[in-house]
Amino acid sequence: MKAAATQASGLYPGEPRTGLFDPAPSVHKARPLLWALAAIVAAVLCALVIAVPLDTEQQFGFGLVTLAAALWIRHKVAGPLGAMFLIALSVTGSLRYMFWRLSSTLDFDNLIGTVLGWGLVSAELYALVILLLGYVQTALPLRRQPKALPADTGLWPTIDIFIPTYNEPLDVVRGTVLAAQSMDWPADKLRVYVLDDGRRDVFKRFCEEAGAAYLTRSDNQHAKAGNLNAALKRTDGEFVAIFDCDHVPTRSFLQLTLGAFLHDPKLAMLQTPHFFYSADPFERNLNTFRIVPNEAELFYGLVQHGNDLWNASFFCGSCAVLRRAPLMEVGGIAVETVTEDAHTSLKMSRRGYNMAYLGIPQAAGLATESLSAHVGQRIRWARGMAQIFRIDNPFFGPGLRLGQRLCYANAMLHFFYGLPRMVFMTAPLAFLFFGAQMFQASGAMVLAYALPHILLSIAANSRLQGQFRHSFWNEVYETVLAWYILWPVLLALVNPRLGRFNVTVKGGVIDKDFFDWRMGLPYMVLLGLNLLGLVGGVWRLLSGDGTVSTVLINLVWGSYNVIIAGASVYVAHEARQQRNTPRVNATIPATIFFANGRTLACETRNFSSTGVGLNLPPRASLSIGEQVRIALSRDQLATVLPGTVVNVGDWIGVAFDELSVAQQRELGQITFSRADAWAGAWGTAKPDTPLGSLRDVINLGLGNLLRLAFRRDSAARMRVAVGARPPRPNNP
Amino acid sequence: MKIIAIVSAKGGVGKTTFSANLGTEFARTGLPTVAIDLDPQDALRLHFSAQAPGPEGLVQATLAALPWRQHFLRTGNACELLPYGRVQESSREAFEQVLREQPRLLQDSLQGLRLPQDAVVILDTPPGPSAYLTQALSACNAAVVVLLSDAASYATLPMMQTLLKRYCLSRSDFSDYAYLVNQVDHSRQLNSDVAYVMRMQFGARSLAPVHQDQAIPEALASNQFVGDYDPLSRAAHDLGAVSEQLLRMLTVGAGSAA
Repeated sequence: MKAAATQASGLYPGEPRTGLFDPAPSVHKARPLLWALAAIVAAVLCALVIAVPLDTEQQFGFGLVTLAAALWIRHKVAGPLGAMFLIALSVTGSLRYMFWRLSSTLDFDNLIGTVLGWGLVSAELYALVILLLGYVQTALPLRRQPKALPADTGLWPTIDIFIPTYNEPLDVVRGTVLAAQSMDWPADKLRVYVLDDGRRDVFKRFCEEAGAAYLTRSDNQHAKAGNLNAALKRTDGEFVAIFDCDHVPTRSFLQLTLGAFLHDPKLAMLQTPHFFYSADPFERNLNTFRIVPNEAELFYGLVQHGNDLWNASFFCGSCAVLRRAPLMEVGGIAVETVTEDAHTSLKMSRRGYNMAYLGIPQAAGLATESLSAHVGQRIRWARGMAQIFRIDNPFFGPGLRLGQRLCYANAMLHFFYGLPRMVFMTAPLAFLFFGAQMFQASGAMVLAYALPHILLSIAANSRLQGQFRHSFWNEVYETVLAWYILWPVLLALVNPRLGRFNVTVKGGVIDKDFFDWRMGLPYMVLLGLNLLGLVGGVWRLLSGDGTVSTVLINLVWGSYNVIIAGASVYVAHEARQQRNTPRVNATIPATIFFANGRTLACETRNFSSTGVGLNLPPRASLSIGEQVRIALSRDQLATVLPGTVVNVGDWIGVAFDELSVAQQRELGQITFSRADAWAGAWGTAKPDTPLGSLRDVINLGLGNLLRLAFRRDSAARMRVAVGARPPRPNNP
Repeated sequence: MKIIAIVSAKGGVGKTTFSANLGTEFARTGLPTVAIDLDPQDALRLHFSAQAPGPEGLVQATLAALPWRQHFLRTGNACELLPYGRVQESSREAFEQVLREQPRLLQDSLQGLRLPQDAVVILDTPPGPSAYLTQALSACNAAVVVLLSDAASYATLPMMQTLLKRYCLSRSDFSDYAYLVNQVDHSRQLNSDVAYVMRMQFGARSLAPVHQDQAIPEALASNQFVGDYDPLSRAAHDLGAVSEQLLRMLTVGAGSAA
């Protein structure tokens, strides 16, 4: 670890990379013997710590000492050093647990016990592998900074912007096209292409009016990947920037991202975060928007930075820049799998090209609009990653360094959690219902080994991920998706050729709250089974059937499952979503011009492409239906747009009248194109406290469940849980 | 005492209105403020609901060698006014002759007023080069160049810069000058574009723009200041922002000079 850390600090973006598993040359040559010796000593010590058998009291003692150490480090040792210590403790506790588990608990006496027992231990092995890979991946996030471009714009490269679309409404795509054209880049070196697989006249007319190039092809083969490849054949910019049609880029996107390519000629791809103006189904239905980090934040806030250290950050399909030459060298965008983005990265990595991740939101879009759409998107990701794992496995094949193999493999293996998660959600039932013993060990021994394993990993992950994923929320996110991705992943592993690309639906409206019974069914079943299991466990306690400690352990496990399943059920409760264009909270200086020439100075409360919400000073008054003009200004830019007052209350809503393309462009430049209008929520979530998160999840899982059971009539009141906390100041 | 000269190369840019409203804004923040009209149009008094409607002002006082303070007018608000004075053509010529003969007249007279240390003096000037402008530029600690966002104003910039260089920039008691773009109207493309170009060009010397607003002429017609007439208007808001910026400029400038 020391060697990796030392070398990583010298690894500034753009410098020629050396593999992190190669020790720095000087060290390598100077003292090879010493290094080998140190490695052997470390290995022997590790083996001892992992394998030495202890009796129950001694193992409890080990657990207490390591937990105390972890608590002390958590509060006293800041920075990467503390993280490393916590990881070391967690790895020790978990490997010790697994060694004991494999060597002392699998002595089954009947077939059912054997099958279930090995099933459980396999799921645990998977979880352990993911835990360890996760540590490798995220222990030292690179967090690179942008590189400056040369002062002479003559040296700046030519760029093609691709905006692929298939069936999304023009209202969603329009802002993206106008924003792409407004990016700060020499006009003769920037071309914006709309790639319309829907071949729609209204898009063609809009592109003509806006001055964007409009490309279509005769078939829709290979969906988005095919669409991009067709455009690659008809264009010739040195770089290609790709935006999903709802990802509105900021003005600064190109200037922040292209510098890295000029500094590192081997750099083939640079990815930036996918940021969402709107709440995803988890955030909306659980009322956690901007309070609890969402599902994507872990990936873009930490995992990609971690990948970047190992030169293994990968292309995510949008908000990224690719260098054309290496892209064409691997045959364009990959078409073999439904996650063409990650696979394209892998292919370029194998050719020795570098990948980069710049963690500054430079584009923002719409989150998936409903749980079913969200699940559909994740099914595609899971299926595609499983396909890559089958047909182009990162552990094998040429060109990759060990770190890259591990990171790519983790990105894929991560999506295999479906089956293990279902195992964990049902495992205690085997005992609670049937008395099947899956651990051949005393309850005290199980606790002595399992508690350090679990608690130390929570401590380490809370330190590593706390800003981007709160403890226990992972379980909720995974459980919701587990059942749905399980089957596509298994299918893709069996036959990677099966499965189609499904387009993620965005920008929809949900008229009223409703419970999506079809989507919620798997969690309802899990919830019901675990509740029954708890009944069975209590009956066992009362009737004295089974060791008390074993019953209690399974009861606690079952209760935890009830909480997680309860929270998951609640995600299927679709909360009302009124708008089909994103509405972003932001404060921008505004002026209302009245018909008589008078004015009112105020500020926006939020904006969308079709209107603004305005905070009025006290004493000001307007009436519904009043015709006004709204001036918005920021720095040197300003625009004046006609509109009608449509809503009067604590704040007023003004809907813009029909805007010309020029007016839409101006509006976009002041609002969506400016990251400071909306990026305030990036990485500013409250840091994790494991106990606080546990309380949130319990509140969500049990609290909402009770409310669901007893107050079926008032849907609104059920959605309290964690949303009841006061919002942070920058998110009024 | 801090002296701010409000200047422009071109007429009709709103200097007098701005001077009056700026004086009121300063006075509101509790600073002793005096607005002095150096423009023979004698229009500044129209903006103040002056309580003593006598014809005398700066010219009469100077020609009669009386103390200026004698002709200060208490106004409707805390800002005091020294009007130019209603004068015959001969008196104006005589006064201008004095100004040409005594280049330090304004400077010395202002010092002679012995105003409190935190007092602010606002000098309204006639458009273009004149004896008044020379006196004002030679006496001031800061200058505001008022412009409209149109091509004609833009074309006058070099001349103004020459004058500032000659009379202001070499003096150690001069803090800085800044540009005010007045009557900005973003619904007119050219106006909006020129305002943009000007602000980019002026950089840190750019004051917050004052937007075109019906509240300004309406306030004048009803004998009120914009901030009183329509405190929620864009113009009131803009004027407040500019006065704050100027106050900051004066304080920072004084600090760096000391």
